[in-house]
Amino acid sequence: MTEALRKLGERALALVEEAGGIALLALKVIGALVPPRLLRVGAAGLRLVAPSREVRNPPRVPPLSGRELLRNLDKMGVSSLPIVALTAFFTGGIMVIQSGIFVKRFGAQGLLGWGSGYAVFREVGPILIGLMFSGRVGSNNAAELGTMTVTEQIDGLRALAIEPVRYLIVPRVLAMVISMFCLLIVGDLVAVGGGMLFGKLLLGVEFSSFYYSLRDNLRPWDFLVGVIKASVFGLAISLTSCHFGTAVKGGAVGVGRAVNDAVVAAALAILISDYLLTLVLR
Amino acid sequence: MTRSFSGETVLAGIDLRVDRGETWGLVGPAASGKSVMLKTLCGLLPPDAGAVVVDGEDIAAATEERLMLVRARFGMLFQNNALFDFMTVGDNVAFPLVRRGGVEPKEIRARVSARLRAVGLAGTEDKFPSELSGGMRKRVGIARAVIARPDIVIYDEPTAGLDPVTTQKVYDLLARERDATGATVVVVSSDLDALLRFVPRVGMIYQGKLRYDGPAKKARDADDPVVRQFVRGDIEGPL
Repeated sequence: MTEALRKLGERALALVEEAGGIALLALKVIGALVPPRLLRVGAAGLRLVAPSREVRNPPRVPPLSGRELLRNLDKMGVSSLPIVALTAFFTGGIMVIQSGIFVKRFGAQGLLGWGSGYAVFREVGPILIGLMFSGRVGSNNAAELGTMTVTEQIDGLRALAIEPVRYLIVPRVLAMVISMFCLLIVGDLVAVGGGMLFGKLLLGVEFSSFYYSLRDNLRPWDFLVGVIKASVFGLAISLTSCHFGTAVKGGAVGVGRAVNDAVVAAALAILISDYLLTLVLR
Repeated sequence: MTRSFSGETVLAGIDLRVDRGETWGLVGPAASGKSVMLKTLCGLLPPDAGAVVVDGEDIAAATEERLMLVRARFGMLFQNNALFDFMTVGDNVAFPLVRRGGVEPKEIRARVSARLRAVGLAGTEDKFPSELSGGMRKRVGIARAVIARPDIVIYDEPTAGLDPVTTQKVYDLLARERDATGATVVVVSSDLDALLRFVPRVGMIYQGKLRYDGPAKKARDADDPVVRQFVRGDIEGPL
């Protein structure tokens, strides 16, 4: 009993430590996103009240690496487009098949577009695309950063007087949030297309009927809820994968463990944040 | 300075002074704390106690912002080279200049070509580190470490895994760089013969202590039997 409690306590402590590490990383990312011009204004103000050497001569903050951001947008966002489109296409189809039972029973062809669209836009689309993105991009990111950590590339950056969070992490976080935002929009469109096609093929619902049902019954807010959720999921995936990637200890075994932890943590973060957002964004 | 990891003491009260423009070598058995000492010297690892003073400034007590400024004066070659594998060789070598700013792209390209030519790797700008051999990667690492003309250069195992001819070429290269820049150089190497020819003064670390710090030529005849055995490579002895 005591042993079980001790292990439980250890796991709880480890969980809190990881959550703290992710929160700390989030704060560092926010700090790095403060424009250098604002920092200079702040330093000028501080000069009056705290004339230390750091304040008198604030270090030059290099701009965020646009090249890194573009590289990551291409690698994470553009490259994920085919798999996300495929997922979304069949998600639209699945929604139609699930709704088909009721459509047939109640002759509610006119509600098919609304039903499948509502589910895809608000819930199924963001979650499935988020999980797919986490499996493809989050795991890759954790592995890449983990390998960079164990091969001293992160230390190499610091030795060159380059802040790894600003240079490596911030572009990845931005790229993942922007990618999820854009992928969700594309995914929603493809899912609607898939829903229309499967609705016609399986249930004989006309394209126009599906379209008007969608247009007349859904609000822009339903679509926006999904976009907000996807962006939050992108943030969650980026922070968990970057945290576990840069906290790797050991060699290849440590990298493998980091990838595993990153994917599990991202899935948990997606489901928990989805629950909270669903409560808030009704 | 002292430094421990998980309760195990790696550096147990190291007291060392390296003067400006001096070349100092460090040797010691595997896992004796050589790399930890180098990382502590350039502020990558803070010591648990003690001070690391660079030009009158204690970097052990400095803020991260100050540390960045101090580190900009260092060039470092890591044991695993630490080349960024998502960048080409040219981008790797140019990286310190690009990120620090103030140098025109044309000037950067010219300096990268010159550095790569100096390390015998002319024309490899567009290759990726994974396309190079171990010795070539090491030379790229050296080019990157010195391209910004740092005041202090730290080389961690610059010849590990290299054949004797390449080893000598690398040390010739380090000597040329040192003579051209007048930088302060700290080198860790397991290749004792080549290192002792390169450095006028050498230290030996063992069980967290600096057991020897003196002329490289006299290390073979040191009073300490541990140092003598290690430098001579004798099988019999206290090690």
